[in-house]
Amino acid sequence: MNLEIGPIFRAMMRNKVGAMLIMLQIAVTMTIIANGFSIIQERKALMARDSGVDIANSFHLSNVSFAEDFDMQTAVIDDLKAIRELPGVADAIQVNAIPLSGSGWSMGLQTEAGDDIDGSGTAVYMVDDHALSAYDVKLIAGRNFELTDLRWRTDNTNDWADVLIATEALTKSLFPDLTPQEVIGKTVFINNHEPIIIIGIIDKLQAPWSGWNNLDHVMLTPDRLAFRGNRYYIRAEEGVRDDVMKRVEETLSNRLSGRMIQGMESMEETQRESYTGASGMIKMLTLIMIVLTIITAMGIVGLASFSVNRRKKQIGTRRALGAAKNSIIRYFMIENLIISGAGVIVGAILTVGLNMILVQAFSLTPIAWYYVPIGMISLLVIGQIAVFGPAQKASSIPPALATRSA
Amino acid sequence: MFTYYLRLAFKSIKRTPILSALMISAIALGIGACMTTISVNYMMSADPIPHKSDQLYYVRVDSWDPYNAFDDPNIPPNQLTWTDATNLTLAGKAFRQSAMARSGGVLEPDNPDIKPFQAGIRLAYNDFFDMFDVPFLYGNPWTDEADINPELVVVLTEQLNERLFGGENSVGRTIKMRSNDLTVIGITKTWEPVPRFYDITTGPFNDVSDMFMPYRLKQELELPNWGNNNCWKPSEGSGFMSRLLSECINNQMWVELPNEQARQDYMDFLDSYVNEQKALGRFPRPLNNKLTDVMDWMKHENVVPDDAEIMLWLSFLFLLVCLLNTIGLLMAKFATKSSEIGLRRAVGASKQALFIQHLVEAGLIGFAGGILGLGLSLLGLEGVESLFGDFISKVAHMDATLVAMAFGLAVLSSVAAGLYPTWKACNIAPASQLKSQ
Amino acid sequence: MLTMKDIKKVFRTDLVETHALRDFSLEVNEGEFVAVTGPSGSGKTTFLNIAGLLETFTSGSYVLDGMDVSNLNDKQRSKIRNEKIGFIFQSFNLIPDLDLFDNVDVPLRYRGFNSAERKKRIEESLEMVGLASRMKHLPAQLSGGQQQRVAIARALAGEPRFLLADEPTGNLDTKMAHSVMDLLHEINANGTTIVMVTHDMHLAKQAGRNIFVRDGRVSELHDVSQSEATDAISA
Repeated sequence: MNLEIGPIFRAMMRNKVGAMLIMLQIAVTMTIIANGFSIIQERKALMARDSGVDIANSFHLSNVSFAEDFDMQTAVIDDLKAIRELPGVADAIQVNAIPLSGSGWSMGLQTEAGDDIDGSGTAVYMVDDHALSAYDVKLIAGRNFELTDLRWRTDNTNDWADVLIATEALTKSLFPDLTPQEVIGKTVFINNHEPIIIIGIIDKLQAPWSGWNNLDHVMLTPDRLAFRGNRYYIRAEEGVRDDVMKRVEETLSNRLSGRMIQGMESMEETQRESYTGASGMIKMLTLIMIVLTIITAMGIVGLASFSVNRRKKQIGTRRALGAAKNSIIRYFMIENLIISGAGVIVGAILTVGLNMILVQAFSLTPIAWYYVPIGMISLLVIGQIAVFGPAQKASSIPPALATRSA
Repeated sequence: MFTYYLRLAFKSIKRTPILSALMISAIALGIGACMTTISVNYMMSADPIPHKSDQLYYVRVDSWDPYNAFDDPNIPPNQLTWTDATNLTLAGKAFRQSAMARSGGVLEPDNPDIKPFQAGIRLAYNDFFDMFDVPFLYGNPWTDEADINPELVVVLTEQLNERLFGGENSVGRTIKMRSNDLTVIGITKTWEPVPRFYDITTGPFNDVSDMFMPYRLKQELELPNWGNNNCWKPSEGSGFMSRLLSECINNQMWVELPNEQARQDYMDFLDSYVNEQKALGRFPRPLNNKLTDVMDWMKHENVVPDDAEIMLWLSFLFLLVCLLNTIGLLMAKFATKSSEIGLRRAVGASKQALFIQHLVEAGLIGFAGGILGLGLSLLGLEGVESLFGDFISKVAHMDATLVAMAFGLAVLSSVAAGLYPTWKACNIAPASQLKSQ
Repeated sequence: MLTMKDIKKVFRTDLVETHALRDFSLEVNEGEFVAVTGPSGSGKTTFLNIAGLLETFTSGSYVLDGMDVSNLNDKQRSKIRNEKIGFIFQSFNLIPDLDLFDNVDVPLRYRGFNSAERKKRIEESLEMVGLASRMKHLPAQLSGGQQQRVAIARALAGEPRFLLADEPTGNLDTKMAHSVMDLLHEINANGTTIVMVTHDMHLAKQAGRNIFVRDGRVSELHDVSQSEATDAISA
């Protein structure tokens, strides 16, 4: 088969500007698409991180007292008892903060006491002995809290409980060389000097801040909360969450006066809100990429159609001289392939260049190398698809056109 | 002559409807994408208080951990302790000054139809209102006296007044919060600086708090810390007062310094204040005080998120693709007119006249694309708002400047896109096209 | 070489039926140089298109070089055009974006020759028309006569048995026309069959045989005065 690459290329060089415009258009399109795709993948990876909890079946709400004489301690005990007895509730706890909700409490832990020791930052969830079951997390070493570990934390409490349960990620950052079993029983220090013993390790739990570097650093402390306000975190049994949410709201609202039950929200919603920026970015980039592809494809169609029109006589002549329809189609396909080929090569360079700028200026993840060839191939395919219509139109130009005087 | 060119341009555009539609929509999409992201970025980086943003300074002093800077490299804390915020404000060394903090409480309206609800409070000194030019609908800020010996007074926002009192002049009425009766002494007119510069730490595009109360009431009423509370060492002792007087930072402070001299003087004052405190055993770190004006503070706190900037640059590239597209199509279009151009040249049209004629055509396409693009960017902003939610709703619109910018960008870019094809098309010898080939 | 029998060509539109050729029969022998003349609208061009396999016909039969080409598909017809027929057009039909070398190369590419073979043929045929030194020039840099000679080189490069010329001198001045006609005679002398369509009687007279077409038929009888009159009208 004779591909005519030489003459096609030489003919194209006679109309450099037109070819160059499409070439550049393809290059920039590829740059945007490859980088956009890279950003989308980066955000998707963020969103796909395992929260550790049963997102689909859990929800939370806050409980704020306003009556001066409100007895929060009794309320918490009775509320939890009432919630746990409701049908469809798997388990429930009171807690100071909710994973991915954006607000919470963080502390530093260090392996030696002292003011000048660097520590590991961690989120703190103050919970009771039902926490592991409510979060649906796995204990991979040590033991759960027992009733005897629990204490009441009030506005005036300034010290910390004697024991804690940590996520594996947190213990790995504190004791990089120890196995989970070996970490159990170790003493760490909070507030620089105050010792706490690690009694249990759980596989996974996320902090309240999805943008935080230490998202997987969480410590659980055995504190019942007698603050003016606290939260309840509830896990429903599979598939009945929405019913349970209604039931919990009714039960709590009617139980006591002098407090407000508010902000009830499913963990699905909490997680969604936490990643609004990421998912918005994904949607915007996707839209831009689609529209851009359409524009570039339309541009190729438009210019190819124009060039077919301009070359009608020439095409007729080629047909007269013995070109089969396929040869004409092939001519335009190859012409486009040459231009797109140059475009994606320039595009590959621009893609990497733009990515370096983005990485530098916005500390994005560097683009994975294989997005470059994928981007190149995609644009070549898009170009070929776009040019096929005009090429077919060209092939239907009758050979007799050659004898028609202009 | 211009109307003649316009008429010709219209005719020419109508003659090749598909090609023209392609060009107009390419420009429209490019402008739409660009203006959407430009608008968001422009609004996010807008000056929230233009007439005095260079006279308002955010105050930072380095009260942090001797062993670790608050942030690298050696950046002082972004908030103040209660102690320092109070001391610095009461010293009164600036033209105006106010410590401030966020708090909240449950309001129990007298009206039994309104259930108790939680309201956000901005605690501040009365200079807050003058310094930031907060407009009042009814009543006035509290007195200087109320700042020192706090009275149970409150200034409501228009929205909260609407909710509590149906929008009537409620000055003198009271609302119950934690069994305290707060007396309303003023209602602010809607005031939503964007970005909400005075407290970036709790989100630059969040709403202004529901109500304002004298700063000292935090201590008096033992109001909780809202916003961010950061500590580098635990409070000594237990109870509300020890927490309030700890080294934890939960307060902001702004000063108004009308000129450079005032700024210098205030800097000196800050240094001497910190040195005094050092003598008392506080401030273990070296002197590192900062006065940052509004716009610099916005920049320092990265008010414009990276994603917005990334989208801005990507949308410029998008526009570039659209323009390359338009140049190509315009060249195609003008090439079909080469015989007409040759004829016009032959009958005496100057090159310049033809150039202008075709530039008018390119400009007209740009104008049409601009109008369509403006519509698209309004749509785009709606889209952005629905994608990113409340956080962005304050910045997802266009003002007159932006609309003008959209048109300018459209016409400018399409004329720029039209220049080369026009030049090329008009560079035809008068006779060459008369002979049929 | 070429035998057409009762060729009929009807163009149909919704309203009108035009008979471009009716019962057109013609025989051209190998090695002949035949000129086909006739007034405008006589069917000359239709004949040319059908003879060159550029167009199909409604009925009748056409045998070219011993092969019945009446019912071939588009691909087969393209192949025959490419291998057996050389075309010379009134307006040369050179491809403006290609230099002379690449222009002559066009049909050879479709023929599937390898590059050495193509290069040899291109150089030889350009040599023959006296333009070998201008191989890298673009058509626009040549005079009309030179362009037509390039077109002839292109037609000959594939060594066709049969050359079809459509008003080959129509766009040329007298001097250039002469040189082109000389070239055609030379080609004919080498054994290539030539059919030339023209309305120019003086030109036609230089051919070995003249065919006159009128109303879509070969007109057996014609005298010079009549055709000269027609010539005057059509010119």
